[in-house]
Amino acid sequence: MVENERWIRVHVERKRAGEQLLSLTGDRERRIRSHWLLPDGRIEAESLICEEGRFPSLSVSLPEVAWDEREIHDMFGYVPEGHPDLRPLVRTPRWPDSFYPLKERVAAPQWLDVEPDNPAKVVEGEGMTVMKVGPTHAGIIESGHFVFSIMGENILHLDAHLFQNHRGVEKTLEGLTVTDARPFVSRICGADTVSHQYNFVSAVEQLTGREVPEAVAWQRVLLLESERILSHLNDLAQIPAGVGFTVAHQRGLAMKEVWQQELAAVFGHRFLFDAMNQGQITMSGKERFLTALSSLEREWGKWRKLVDRQRGFHDRMRGVGVVRREDADQLGAVGVALRATGIRLDVRAQMPLYRHVQIAIPHVSGGDVEARFQVRLQEVENSFRLLRTALEQLRKDATRDDWQPPVDVTGEAVGYSESPHGLNAHVLQIKNGRIERYHVRSGAYRNWPVLALAVAGNAVADFPLINKSFELCYSCADR
Amino acid sequence: MWMGWLTVELWGVQIVGMALAVLLAPLYVGIAQTVKARMQGRQGPSIWQGYWTLSKLWRKETLVPEFSSWVMQMAPAVTFGAMAVVVVYIPWGGSVPFNWPHDVLTVFFLLALERFWVGLAGLDSAGTFGGLGASRILTLGSGIEPALFAVFGLLWYLTGRTEIVPIAPGWWRHSLNILPWGLAVVGYVFVAMAELGRLPVDNPDTHLELTMMHEATVLEYSGRFLAQSQAAVALKFTAVIALGWVWLGPTLASPWWNLLLRIGELAVTSALLGWFESRTVKLRYLRLPAYLSIAIGMGMLAVYLVASRGGY
Repeated sequence: MVENERWIRVHVERKRAGEQLLSLTGDRERRIRSHWLLPDGRIEAESLICEEGRFPSLSVSLPEVAWDEREIHDMFGYVPEGHPDLRPLVRTPRWPDSFYPLKERVAAPQWLDVEPDNPAKVVEGEGMTVMKVGPTHAGIIESGHFVFSIMGENILHLDAHLFQNHRGVEKTLEGLTVTDARPFVSRICGADTVSHQYNFVSAVEQLTGREVPEAVAWQRVLLLESERILSHLNDLAQIPAGVGFTVAHQRGLAMKEVWQQELAAVFGHRFLFDAMNQGQITMSGKERFLTALSSLEREWGKWRKLVDRQRGFHDRMRGVGVVRREDADQLGAVGVALRATGIRLDVRAQMPLYRHVQIAIPHVSGGDVEARFQVRLQEVENSFRLLRTALEQLRKDATRDDWQPPVDVTGEAVGYSESPHGLNAHVLQIKNGRIERYHVRSGAYRNWPVLALAVAGNAVADFPLINKSFELCYSCADR
Repeated sequence: MWMGWLTVELWGVQIVGMALAVLLAPLYVGIAQTVKARMQGRQGPSIWQGYWTLSKLWRKETLVPEFSSWVMQMAPAVTFGAMAVVVVYIPWGGSVPFNWPHDVLTVFFLLALERFWVGLAGLDSAGTFGGLGASRILTLGSGIEPALFAVFGLLWYLTGRTEIVPIAPGWWRHSLNILPWGLAVVGYVFVAMAELGRLPVDNPDTHLELTMMHEATVLEYSGRFLAQSQAAVALKFTAVIALGWVWLGPTLASPWWNLLLRIGELAVTSALLGWFESRTVKLRYLRLPAYLSIAIGMGMLAVYLVASRGGY
């Protein structure tokens, strides 16, 4: 009991001290572990043993872990006691009751032949309609099932059922060596892949005590910022589509496509898969990259003029999908969604990789679609500058990074980075070179509950616009 | 009974005009789409794409939702029929060759009938979004109808007639009349964009179901029903633009030249519409009443300006 109270108290105190939660997850040894990022860049862990498969829930005093605890419940069967909403998150009714994917080393069981729908939270009453959208959508997007409670044209509540595709990412990684795990980690999602790759490499390097050479660090900055630009260009181009501003949509996508082709030419992959260890920039690559960057900046200037001048577009974005500052803080929002509320947090400021550069954080507030649009605009321009700095540093030194991790790595480490969609953290537990447990907590995972909150109270017709202003990754939620 | 040479010629022009309206309707939509594609930096589909789509849909399998009724299957034919009758009422040669009742109220009624059936079809298709689209389109209709009446008020005041006849030639060339004429033109453009479901009111090209109006009501259609529904949309596009030019544009004395003028005007208007749609964004749904009240206001102001100086 005393232990349980301490568990809740330390977490609330850490949150109050301005620390950021990196992860909260369980493992096969009945341990619940949380990792916190301190403002000075250190990482500290808290640990608790589940007595009789139960542990005290933090969700009431720390709402941002509500999903993590539900996920532990679904994947391990450990019960967070006192959790306000223990409906299945990852589980589907097709899983047998005794099946907990991460608890034991089970083979795939016999799936039950029932409807896969989980119970939805809806608002009931006169004049209320429940509208279900997805999991298959009209455009080429991933699987997400949205249950709207609407009254006329107003959304009262959104219950987002993600986790539709069960890919078994964390399960697959168990038992793999570092070299074998790389391609899997790289493909956790297509939007933040460099960030995922960096987290993995960084966790392994922490365990082996490797000092990363300067040139290698700049290579990584180059990749991370190239990805940020690619992702932001895409997200920025999607927002105008939500209001029928097709010219900005198509021209933005064209600009993104050119950049993507240049990245493929320089780093070897359109989505930068495996780029961190295979796609290191060469001397000729640097020339090409610089030319591509200059031409992108020219196109960017034209596109900015186009969107800045369209007043109706900004009118549609203002006051829509508002995330209040307190809610963003309470729900642990990260990335663009957090910075748009005026909370100026960017973990690049803590990352050792960026210690030689100043990270400019946009001054934006309001928390609406417009604010998120403006944050991205400014971040793209900041990334242009960072790319030029990195290229300048890499001018002479083009040594390839041939480092291979020792085969007997053992221990636990957390890799984290600021992905285009916010703070992304990976927990690696490895024993004698084989992965024991791997946990991914990406930016999109943290922001989905924030989106659901931002949507409530808005018009049905504004949902696509609000959704696009977050542009969250479904793949990161497909466990 | 000999009808007289003029009537024969008018009948000829009218029949050719009606046929051309039906045949060229997909082309006009294609022109708007091509201009839009070019402004987006895309090559876009061929200007004839509308015809290929219709012929493809006609040959494809037609599926209907399990829980729908004959209403949904009837709707495309009713809407196409309603628009075809509007096309009959348009004086392609400057005036109509027949003297059976062709009141403008009938045209407004036919437009309302089309909207009503589109709404019914949306409700009957038993999908998630059909009802949403039907509700939006019918709500919008309650603003479109008074706006049409307000704009038409000027024509009625000037001609004293409720049939579709052009204003006296040259009326709008008089300097004092330019303002009321301009107001009526702006009012008609506003209401036509709403009636046709184009930007800034509705976006015909979107795939985002939650933002749709007209498209949401036809989401469940396929095959021949979808072909009919698309043909009806194209015909409405032609009819509503042609009506505007008949009422507020110039009329030539020669019926054949007049028909040619209408065809040219339709092509130019389609291109202009594509250009305009590329420069604008969709309005918030809750702003639409304000948008339509502008059209109503313009029409009423035009009447007031003419009436206050005792006619023209």
